[in-house]
Amino acid sequence: MRVNSASFRWKSGSLSVLVAHRKGPAAAALGFAIMFGVGCQEQTPVALNDDALPGAPITVTVEIPWSAFASNLEVFGGYGSAEDIGQGVLAEDFAGTLDARTLLRIGSYPRVATVQDTTGASRPDSTLTILGGRFVAFFDTIESTNSGAVTLALGAITEEWDQTTASWDFAVDTINDERPWSEAGGGVVLPVAQTVWDPLVGDTAVFVLDSAEVAAWADTTDLSAGARIEILDSGERLSLSKAVVRLDARPSSNPDTIIELTAVTRGSTFIYSPFPQPPPDGVRIGGAPSWRTILDVNIPEILDNLPDFCAVVRCPHELSPGEISYAALVLTSRATEAAFQPTDSIRLDVRPVLNRAAMPKSPLGVSLIVSPFGRSVAPEAFGSEPGLEIEIPFTGYARDRLRGTDASGNPTPETLALLSVIEPFSITFASFDGPQSAAEPFLRLVLTIGPPVELP
Amino acid sequence: MSRFMRRISRAATMAVAVLAVSSVSIHGQSLFNAAGLGTTVEALDGRARALGSMGIGLNGRSMMPSDPGALARLGISTGVMVASPSWVDYSAAGDRSGTVQGNRFPLMGIGYPILGGMASIQIGSFLDQTYEVTRVGETDLGDGPVRTSDAFDQDGAVSTVTLGFARTLGERFSAGLSIGRYAGSLDRTLERTYGEEGEAGNVDTYVEAGVWSWTGWSLSAGGSAELDGLRVAASVQVPTQLSGTASEDTRGSDRTFALPVHLRVGATANVGPSILVHGSAVLADWSSAQDQLNGGFAGSGSGFGLGVELSRARLFGRDAPLRFGFRRVGLPFAFEDESVTERTFSGGFGLTLNETAGVVLAALDLSIERGQRNSSNLSEQFWRATLSLLTSGF
Repeated sequence: MRVNSASFRWKSGSLSVLVAHRKGPAAAALGFAIMFGVGCQEQTPVALNDDALPGAPITVTVEIPWSAFASNLEVFGGYGSAEDIGQGVLAEDFAGTLDARTLLRIGSYPRVATVQDTTGASRPDSTLTILGGRFVAFFDTIESTNSGAVTLALGAITEEWDQTTASWDFAVDTINDERPWSEAGGGVVLPVAQTVWDPLVGDTAVFVLDSAEVAAWADTTDLSAGARIEILDSGERLSLSKAVVRLDARPSSNPDTIIELTAVTRGSTFIYSPFPQPPPDGVRIGGAPSWRTILDVNIPEILDNLPDFCAVVRCPHELSPGEISYAALVLTSRATEAAFQPTDSIRLDVRPVLNRAAMPKSPLGVSLIVSPFGRSVAPEAFGSEPGLEIEIPFTGYARDRLRGTDASGNPTPETLALLSVIEPFSITFASFDGPQSAAEPFLRLVLTIGPPVELP
Repeated sequence: MSRFMRRISRAATMAVAVLAVSSVSIHGQSLFNAAGLGTTVEALDGRARALGSMGIGLNGRSMMPSDPGALARLGISTGVMVASPSWVDYSAAGDRSGTVQGNRFPLMGIGYPILGGMASIQIGSFLDQTYEVTRVGETDLGDGPVRTSDAFDQDGAVSTVTLGFARTLGERFSAGLSIGRYAGSLDRTLERTYGEEGEAGNVDTYVEAGVWSWTGWSLSAGGSAELDGLRVAASVQVPTQLSGTASEDTRGSDRTFALPVHLRVGATANVGPSILVHGSAVLADWSSAQDQLNGGFAGSGSGFGLGVELSRARLFGRDAPLRFGFRRVGLPFAFEDESVTERTFSGGFGLTLNETAGVVLAALDLSIERGQRNSSNLSEQFWRATLSLLTSGF
């Protein structure tokens, strides 16, 4: 049976021997392909019982008090402008304090309209005669507090104003240009019209304009041009969604016909008084311009003196990032000042502050909340039903903070900012109890702690 | 380039190809994988399986790590590759039953004549360790009970890379020596998820994982003798301890496990004009690993096998010896303190694909086994196919 390798060497010098007899290798390859095919569906064996599992982890919920994980809470305001909201607010002595008026700039009037001439043919007509019109205001009936009719007044602004920086006291408030209104609250206006808006009838209020009043807003280069709308009845706060000017025009091609044209507003803002002062002892989020609350976070590396925790885990326990299954900042809501209490849900966001020393201008990191709509909180939590615990989860951040770096190896910011998802979103803001209060913020951790997995 | 260099180059290319193919993961084929260090997966080819062999003492050309002396009889450059799918039906206490199937590649290797003998490199399977298990429970996160699911997944295997050299000693004897390196890794991952299945909750999954790499050495020596109508062979494999070294980010510790010395003997006798009878046995006592195990029980991996080959059979005009066999071998690890054995009846055939000048250049060997593994609380019935391809003359 022994093969003489020397005698065979001349044949094995080339693969041509195999090539000349391809059927064999081809059949072998086919055989292997069949074997791979029939056995390719892999199924992992499932062990019979729990004995095949390593030691079971335990799950513990821990509440860390403010002093053990956070510090340096600070509230900053002035983010964005009321103009950014794109809506207006009207108030007169609302909640005994708040006055608010909305200022609008009217866009250019349509110069050309397609009309039917006397022969019935449609053609563009650029010779239009404006006869008058209506200023139509649309209100948000849910956000507005009134349930009955209220009287509104429309006036024409007479002073130059800047829609981005205008406030109750200042018409222009930019760098090196600070011009107060001649009279706080939008200056002296030329009264245009009054009307009554009843939300039970509809969501629009209509002010009738004559041709002179319409003509006064036609010059879009006039920086003093604009409309101011206010509420005359006290004790209510209205939310103005938008406003347009409906124009009645007579085309030259068919003078017997009156057509209606629409001019939209090209900008709006609202001014209000008094401007809320930063809270001395709490958390504030939202408003217009917006408020942010920032705080330094330090996830404790060692857990000790926590009776419930130490009853099931040997203390002191060195916490590792992988043991944090859930982490959330828990805030307790409190009633916001009545004038600024939300009437719709507030959506909270939490973002890392990349450079606290640069506050209030520090850039922020990406949101730590998974939902793009943030953490929604019902408005009652800041009014009729305060004391609600609101959890703002930031599990990934807590792990990174404990580890010191994020997944990319970058240092984890120490400071977090609590803010509104959209800034600014509303004149209203959310309020929470601050440190050293009975319901101070705390950190809720769900920890999963298990022994290391060992070899069998 | 000289002819010798070209041969070396081809051999190297073949080696790379074999190593590349061997990277295919080996999947589990038995629930006994969850016991101790797993189940043994012997590096046997289709002919050995069909004859119920322990991989030693077979006549003709053979290239298996269990028979280092047989390498010398290859004579020419040879490569072997084995695939082995299996289908397992299991039943356990509590009316639990199911099926498992998978494919594995227990042996790949090449041998090349050098220095008047035959050198080889072989990659073989050794221990199969893959399994998974899930435990469902409940915990209170402060707002009432929440479902927890602990899913444990173990994925890995121990393989061997063996370098061997053998040569003939006169007309009748041959001897071989090989050095084996244990390799492979074991990935053990426990994941606890919260909430109902399929629901994404706020509480993240807890993951505790560890990865260990297996290392160790073994030295094997063997010899065989050709007597009139009889071939006998014996080998001894002496291993070091099997070391599991934890990766840098593994919290678990390094461990070592004692491996048993394997003694193998086998013989094939020509009892008739075309009838060969084969018998072989292995002695391996794994009980020394018991003290190092956290779970499971170590026992005996000893066994024996018997087979017969009808060598005159032909198929498609080619030689196609028919083979039948029986083997009984112990599983080294079990869930209870008991002896668990694997018993198989096998059949198969070989097929010469290419023969030139009386030398087989390519041959297939196929075996089909029907077997069972029984313990007090688990019974497995399985079909296992083994197909090996032997090529020569490259």
